[in-house]
Parts: sequence; C-alpha cells; structure tokens
Amino acid sequence: MDWNHVPANLQEARQHLPDLIRQVERRAPYAHALISRNSGLQITVTDREQQVKEMEPSSGLVLSAWNGAYFDELATSDLSKASLDTLTRDLSSGLNVRSPVGLDPGPALDQHWSTAMQHDPTNLSVKDKLALCLDLHRRTRGLDPHIVNVQVRYQERCESKAFANRSRHLSQNVLRLRLFVLVVVTDGARIQYDWVDKDGTGGLEVVSISDQELHDLCTKAVASLAADKIPPGVYQVVTCPDVSGVIAHEAFGHGVELDMFLKDRARSREYLNRAVASPLVSILDDPSYPGGHGTYFFDDEGQIASPTCIIRDGVFRQGLSDLFTSHRLGMPHTANGRRESFERKNYVRMSNTFFARGTTPVAELFSGIDYGIYLNKTSSGMEDPKGWGMQVTSQCGEEIRQGKLTGRLFAPIGITGYVPDILQSVSAVGNDFRLTGGTCGKGHKEWVPVSSGGPHLLLKARLG
Amino acid sequence: MLHTIVKTLRETQGAHGWIVRQVENNSTQSYLIGAERECSRRVHSERYQVTVMNDHPARDGSGSARGEAEATILPADLPELESKLAELVFTAGLTDNRPYDLPGPAQYASVATADPTILADPSAVADQVTGELLLALKGEAAVRLSSAEVFVEGSQITLHNSAGATGSQRTTDLVVEMVLLASGKDNEMESNVMLRRRRAADLNTAAVVQRHAQYARDALVARTPRTGIFPVVVSNEALAELLMGEGDSPLVLRSSAQAKYQQVSPWELGQRVLPEPLSGDPIVIHSNALVDYGTRSGSFDHEGHAGGRTLILDNGMLRSFWGPMRYAQYLSIPSTGEFGNLELAPGSQPLSSLLSDTGTFYHVVSFSAMSPDPITADFVGEIRLGYEVNNGVATPIRGGSIGGNLLAALATATLSSETALLAGYYGPLAARFESITVAGA
Repeated sequence: MDWNHVPANLQEARQHLPDLIRQVERRAPYAHALISRNSGLQITVTDREQQVKEMEPSSGLVLSAWNGAYFDELATSDLSKASLDTLTRDLSSGLNVRSPVGLDPGPALDQHWSTAMQHDPTNLSVKDKLALCLDLHRRTRGLDPHIVNVQVRYQERCESKAFANRSRHLSQNVLRLRLFVLVVVTDGARIQYDWVDKDGTGGLEVVSISDQELHDLCTKAVASLAADKIPPGVYQVVTCPDVSGVIAHEAFGHGVELDMFLKDRARSREYLNRAVASPLVSILDDPSYPGGHGTYFFDDEGQIASPTCIIRDGVFRQGLSDLFTSHRLGMPHTANGRRESFERKNYVRMSNTFFARGTTPVAELFSGIDYGIYLNKTSSGMEDPKGWGMQVTSQCGEEIRQGKLTGRLFAPIGITGYVPDILQSVSAVGNDFRLTGGTCGKGHKEWVPVSSGGPHLLLKARLG
Repeated sequence: MLHTIVKTLRETQGAHGWIVRQVENNSTQSYLIGAERECSRRVHSERYQVTVMNDHPARDGSGSARGEAEATILPADLPELESKLAELVFTAGLTDNRPYDLPGPAQYASVATADPTILADPSAVADQVTGELLLALKGEAAVRLSSAEVFVEGSQITLHNSAGATGSQRTTDLVVEMVLLASGKDNEMESNVMLRRRRAADLNTAAVVQRHAQYARDALVARTPRTGIFPVVVSNEALAELLMGEGDSPLVLRSSAQAKYQQVSPWELGQRVLPEPLSGDPIVIHSNALVDYGTRSGSFDHEGHAGGRTLILDNGMLRSFWGPMRYAQYLSIPSTGEFGNLELAPGSQPLSSLLSDTGTFYHVVSFSAMSPDPITADFVGEIRLGYEVNNGVATPIRGGSIGGNLLAALATATLSSETALLAGYYGPLAARFESITVAGA
C-alpha cells in the first residue's frame, strides 16, 4: 500500500467534499464532512482451527450541519456522486436553523498524514502472516504439559479518513496492529488462562513477542491454577502499568470527558483547578503519542492531535472536549472528537491516556510493604463519573510480604473505592512506562481504539 | 447486487462452499441532553458478508482439508467483485481445517423479529419514546433527565449458501440509553440504564423511568455494604447481565460445541455441570431462537441453519452442546445453529418470597459492569445500587463488590416464578444466591 497518499477510492469522494460543504453552508452557519474507510485483516490460529477473515470493513460519509444549536447529520455507505448530492440536498432542505452563529472552523490547513513504520505489514502476503502465526503457535504450544489450547491472533487495521470544512482539507492513513497469544491451561480440575498482547500504530516492529515472554506467559498461566480467592479488605497495592492505565482511563478519564459536564454527570467538575490526587500524580491524554494504539493525526472533527494534561501534580487542570462541548462550555477544544464509524455520532473520547512517569525505581515500590498485593494484569473496567466509584477487575494478583513477592496468587480481584481517595493514596510513582492498547466503549457501546498505561504505582485500595 | 454476488460465487473456481448475507440497515438516532436535542441522525448502510470455503489436500498429509475466509463486500466494491472473490478463494486455500458441510434448505419456523410500528415510521417511534420519557419524568420528585439516546433501526437480512439454504427476514431494534439524575440536599446521584428491545411496546417507558428514578433517589443515601458472605438477590437487568451478558456468558461458552472441540470447555454430555450439592431450584436452560421479539431470535442463523429451541441444561446436567453444523460434525452430535436467547426456566416462588427473610441479605439491582469470565465462570462486579435488607427493612447500598463463581452460585439459586424478556435473556425476574462474597466497608 502507498501509505503516503489517500487511497484512490477515498480520493475520488474526497474531492467532492468542499462542494458539499459550500452547498450545506448556504443554509447552515457551519458544516463539516468526514469520509472514513476502515479495512483490515484478522488471522486466528488455535490448536484445532485456522481462520483468515477481513475485519469488518466500513466505508461511508457523514455530513454534519450545525443549525446554531445542535448538529443534524446524514450518513451513507454509498459514496457515488449522485448519492452524495442527494444527501446534501436532503440535509440542507431539512435544516431548521436556530441561530446564525457558527462554529470556528480552525485555521486553514490542507495536509495528509500517514503512520510511520519500519516494517510495513502490507508488503507481506497473507500466507507469510499466517506462517508467522503458525510459528508463534508452535513456539508456545510445547512449553508446558498443562496447556490445552493456544490461540494466536493477528489483527491489522487500516483507517483512512478525509475531513473537510470551509477552511480545512485533511486526510490520514493510520495502521493499527495487534498480536495476541492466549494460553488455556488445566490441571484436570480447574481451567485458567492468561495472555500476552502487543499492539500499537506502526509496522510489524510494534508486535514482536519474544520466546522469554512466551515462557513467562505459560509459567504465569500454570501458576494461576493454584490461585485463591482474595479475602476482601483494604490493601497496600502495587499496580502494574496495565492496571495503572485502567485506573487512569476508567476511573478518571471518562469523568473528564466534557460531555459529562454538559450532562451534569461529572463529579470532577467540582474539582476543576483543585487537588484531586496526590501531588505525585499527573495524568495525560495524548492522541499524538508516537506508536500508541489510540494514536491519530486529527480527530473526526478536524482538530489536530496534541497532548492534554488532565491532572498536573495532583491538580485537575483540564478536561477533554470536542467541537460541541467546547463551544457550549467555553472551554478549550482538544482533539478528542471521535466516532466508532460513520454510522455513529461523534462523542468526546479518550485516545492514549496515562499516568506520567515518576522517579521511584520499581523495586523500591515493593520494598516498604509489610503485606500487600501486586496487581499484575487487568481484565476490565467501568466508569462511574457521577458517583466516582471505581470498578476495575484484575485478572490476577500476587501476595507481597516483607517487600517480596511470595508467589501466592489470587484471582480474579475486583478493585473498588472512591476515585479521589484512591488517587490521593498514591504514595510513590515508578520510573517505568508502558502503554497497552484495547478498545473503549462509551457506556456499553461506541467502540474506538485506545491505549492506557503509565508506570507502576503504590497506592491503597479496597480489593475483593 | 446480491444476485450478482451469488452468480459470481457459483462461477468462481475453488469456491467449494460459500455463504452470502445481505444486510441493509436504516437507523434513526436521537440524542438529548436534558430535554434539549443534542443531535439527530439518519443513517443508511448496505453490506454483503461473504464466507468462502476451499477444499484442498491437507498440508500435513492427513487427507483433505477445508479452509475458509471471510470478507465484507460494500456497494463500492462491485467493480472489483470477481477479483475480491478470487482473493477470498486463494486465502481460504491457505488454511487447513477438518472438512465440514453447510446446512441445506430447511423449512424455517416463523418468529416475530420486526415491529411493524418501527418499520412504518422510525422517526415517529423515536419521537414517541422521547416524549414518553420526558412525560414520565414530570411525575418524579427531585429527578431529572441527564441525557438520553434513542436508536430506532430496521434491517433486512437475506441469506444464500452453496448448500441451497436461502432465507430472508426483517428485524427491528430499539435501543434506549438514559441517565436520570436525582438531587439531594448537598449531592446528586444518577441511575444509568440501557435497554434493547425489538418492539416498541415492550419498552414500557413509564415503568422503567419510575423504577430508575427511585434508584437514583436511593443512591443519594446509599452507603457501602458490609464485608462478609451473605445471601444475595439479583434482579431485572442486573440478573440478565450476570447470566447472559453480551452473549459471552460462561453458560453459553461452556455449552458450545466449538469450545468443546477446542478443549476450552470441560463440560461433558450427560454429566452434572453445577457443583454438588444442589440446593436451589432446578436449573433448566434452553437456547431459544424462537422467542417472539427476543433480540437473539431469528428464523435462521448466520450460515442458514434453522432457528430452534434446544435443551442445554436440565436440572444442572448438560443435555446438549449447541453449535453450527461444522462443530456438530466434528463432535458427531446434532447441529443446533447459533445460540439464541438464554431461556431459564422459572422457579416456584414469587419475587416477594425471595425478598422476605428475617436475616440479613443484599438485593442488587444494578452493577457498574458484570461480566463473568467465560472460561472460568468467576465473577466480580461493583454494586452500582443495591439494598441491605435486615428483618424486612431495606437500606440502599452502593460501592463494594460481589464476587464468586457463577456455576457455584447457580447450584444454590432460588428463582422467581415471575419471568421477563430482557434483550437476549428470557427467564426469572430475580434469583437468590445463598452464599456470595460481599467486599464492602
């Protein structure tokens, strides 16, 4: 694939966009258009099956007209000139303009971006990628007799987008890769599993998995067969970067998406410019972070990606916004307007969200703990912006005694508590850093690629 | 375009088996912040999901193999159709799986999956739902609407496969997500609910608003639960979430022929799969694709297998694995098609009986998120709202979590005699589990 140019099928529709905008703005005080084309490949190899499938592609255009109060939108998967003309006429004719006040289209800009990479996977054939997965499966399968199945999954997703308003004409090609190895083990009585995954925007260099990582994966999976249920209580906890990231994303990030302010759903609003966390804590959202799974060059409303410092030294400084929320609230416009696809509405969404790196060597985080738990893998989390209750589930945790890991495991572990209490309890921040990718929903839907992470943290939390 | 794809597939060399599904969707979406409109959208999309199977000698010399590859054809792809299908055949030829067949022609049972009211005028239904929502809230003290999203969708699905199966069905979906805010003297709390129904008449907006308005008011005074092991009653959407989730429940995964074939499910036919001793109501579960207006109902599934009703668990004993023809043939068992709605047989006691107890128990009505691990069946979920009941007096609680193992919990479950159809779950309105770990203050 030629990564430096907009795909031909997008280019053709893209050239019509300025005209569509002009037509809609004859009535609407502001309009913009987004064309998106997502395509991808997924290869799955398990003990007994092999599958190659195209990841659910989508291709379409959404045309948005601001009527002075809210956006009216029409969207279609038919990108023919005739269809786009009909769409434009329908949107214009149905528009009920409430106010002539428009929205800021931003400074003029005409630019194209593409993901930087060393090893372009689109230069490899499907056969070669399947061979890589089969090899990874073979390298893992024989590592331990407790293994009953190994699943290897390779995902490659290309997002091509073109955006236009009256001053901007932007396009981007973003390539997201993910390589995932799941190991299922049994001792005859219990069944458990563990996984390792690598992901990011870039080429094949972002998804390599070493033999040592596979060995560690199998060792941990087998050890989890002996995991106990954790006695409920409040513990000294060290969180690995995965768990730190889910706390940043689920516990705090969702609550500072500024549509939550408009909806009166964010308790964080009471904390703007006030201390909400330990002074050791800073949290950022950065869609421009190189190689992050949630990285992009501009958001779905044409705002150029740049970092937002949400918490600086424990003080809540700024939330995340899109065009609508920044206009309504009179707050800074950040590059966080994102859609699941052209079929869905734009919302304020996170990108790469993380705790900033600290200064404490990771080993020192453990050394002062008399009794505690090392939470070393996250499985899920859920937001509660109004109540600010935290719900994060850790796949597994390991006992810490006298500053040392004992090898005794607990699984699964729920982490709950009041978010400011947990953030205030952070007493040390590690000097390491890692991001982990995934997909994030708004409530129970609207999935977009993101990442979260940061360093190891030392804190207190209720586990159960 | 469907006709062209089918014709081209028939003529494509190496396409030894194939399935094509045309999905055409029209969606009307309405978004409110408070009583004001935030956005309104209309969307039309059309796609063709194509699966191609190629038969070839297995690379390990074990005989013949069948490979498959899937792709979605969009209207804009039509000029390149032949090359896309040839590429699919080539890709299918790269993978080696044991041979299997596709389901052939069948008499599909009739099941209601589309609401004529929605098909007739989706915009009117969206307006009606938002109107009912706002009207119902007028009667609720100290509660207002934070936001609401109403999606009204109609789809037409047409399927053909190479074994001769063919079918067409219309479906409708109504998704309502709303957040209600209750104001107290010095705080505010919310109740958040997402409902999915096929039929507008099943939404019962006024009752849902009334229930969740009370939840929001109760959240204002809720405290953290105690820590310990208690009986726990779970009801309504929270129970559907615990038992069925988004279809990734351990009850569904462990009874799937694919999971058995993959050695991920330890379950065996004819064996008891709930741990002894069983002290609750008999657990009888069917996969039922023929529940009128169930969100997982359908006359046929993704490969053209007829929808049906299959007994999965009978008094805690595994009676059938469910699965498409492929995995059924691998395991030499009858095929059932995809899992439909999870139908759980009702219990013998009314809900009021489950909630009457002279001791202490918890009643959970809402989780932040509840998704039991599909492989291990272990679960942990934060309590978004519940009640601690002491000698019949209920005190609101929130925060903390409940945890355990779903299979062990079901072994002691008492089920309500009242039932409900809640999206893909059709069964008791409430269940009481006798020994659940509560992690609280």
